[in-house]
Amino acid sequence: MIPNLLALIAEITHRCPLHCVYCSNPVELVATKAELTTAEWVRVFQEASRLGVLHLHLTGGEPAARADLEELIAGARQAGLYTNLITSGLGIPETRLSKLVDAGLDHIQLSFQDSRAEPAQWIAGARGHAYKLILAEKIRQLPVAFTVNLVVHRQNLDHIEEMIEFVEQLQPERVEIAHAQYYGWALKNRDTLLPTPSQLEKCLRAVEAAQSRLAGKVRIDSVVPDYYARYPKACMGGWGRRLMLIDPAGQALPCHAAGIIPGMQFDNVREHPLEWIWQASAAFQRFRGEEWMPEPCKSCDRRTEDFGGCRCQALLLTGDANATDPVCSLSPDHHLIETARAIAESHAEQVPWSYRTSVG
Amino acid sequence: MPRPEHTSQPRLAPGCRWGTQGEQQVVLFPEGMIRVQGTGQNILELCDGQRTLQEIVATLSERYGAADPVKITDDVCSFLEALQRKRIVDY
Repeated sequence: MIPNLLALIAEITHRCPLHCVYCSNPVELVATKAELTTAEWVRVFQEASRLGVLHLHLTGGEPAARADLEELIAGARQAGLYTNLITSGLGIPETRLSKLVDAGLDHIQLSFQDSRAEPAQWIAGARGHAYKLILAEKIRQLPVAFTVNLVVHRQNLDHIEEMIEFVEQLQPERVEIAHAQYYGWALKNRDTLLPTPSQLEKCLRAVEAAQSRLAGKVRIDSVVPDYYARYPKACMGGWGRRLMLIDPAGQALPCHAAGIIPGMQFDNVREHPLEWIWQASAAFQRFRGEEWMPEPCKSCDRRTEDFGGCRCQALLLTGDANATDPVCSLSPDHHLIETARAIAESHAEQVPWSYRTSVG
Repeated sequence: MPRPEHTSQPRLAPGCRWGTQGEQQVVLFPEGMIRVQGTGQNILELCDGQRTLQEIVATLSERYGAADPVKITDDVCSFLEALQRKRIVDY
């Protein structure tokens, strides 16, 4: 039985004023001229809604880099979707913010790179911290749900308590403490970003303390980063089980990084209905269900919880997208993760960053 | 966060709103949705930011006839408190 598609992630552009060293975009970025038009996106939102999708996540790049963001939000809302904007805040002047909310935006997720301006600029390869603070205050005055997203890693985890106090002052309903995930750009920078075990322990304690201190005021979500988990994450809630990502050019992907898997063919919303792509296209069926699973997944009780983990991570680390995610302590390739952790622990020195590049 | 008081005016939190999934009424919020039906739906529909907790309890007591208002107040408070912790309701 084909599961129901619940949420659509629309990467409406790869353009971005920031160059974050852990950017989740693919290393091969989609050019501006290849982007879907306003009308094409709105048609996709309508198709998604008819398929039963409830949530739309507008992301990028920086989604505000598109001049038609207001129209896209209005189109999504008219289609009946709950609309979330994942943004750096740059490219959203105060006057535009009100227009986005008036157009029907339900939720803003504003990212911060740090509590301090200087390291934030160092991570993002651009200035923006001071403006984010101004924007956060304006968001709070509008009728929209507000989440602050904070990406954490070895370079900022030593002041996790300070960062939590910082985001608390912005008065969001929610805080997401997201550990950098090691694909694409972040994988290039892994030896500088992967936290040490003692940082991670400190982070867990700080998050727990903040969760109990702020209960009922700010909801704090945080998960153990992949490389320190005992079992892998249920990546995207399982391949082709809940989520679909559309890239700026209309390619439908089962996850952010799926484009790196060799031999995969992704269908485009310009050529096929969303319903067909979800139900019948080869890409979404490739790792759906359990048929593809190797041992130890195939006979593991956890296979219905984590679905074998992340296919892209398996590929990036073992060279085989069919392998058990090496994050799993039961994986025959788990030593790869242990080695990465050992390098993180021993690396006191900075290595040069690879900043994410700009879009052509 | 304390429990709601008699004069609290419960409402859906910013960015939380009613929607439908097929025939089913749902409350949408950033991370997902909850299906609400029966008593839960009756309570939430009265949480318009205008009515006080006391008024909501009075309306529900009337609707459910003989039910004990103290018990209804307690149930409504527990329900709202649980949703408040998830940042779906404010009061």
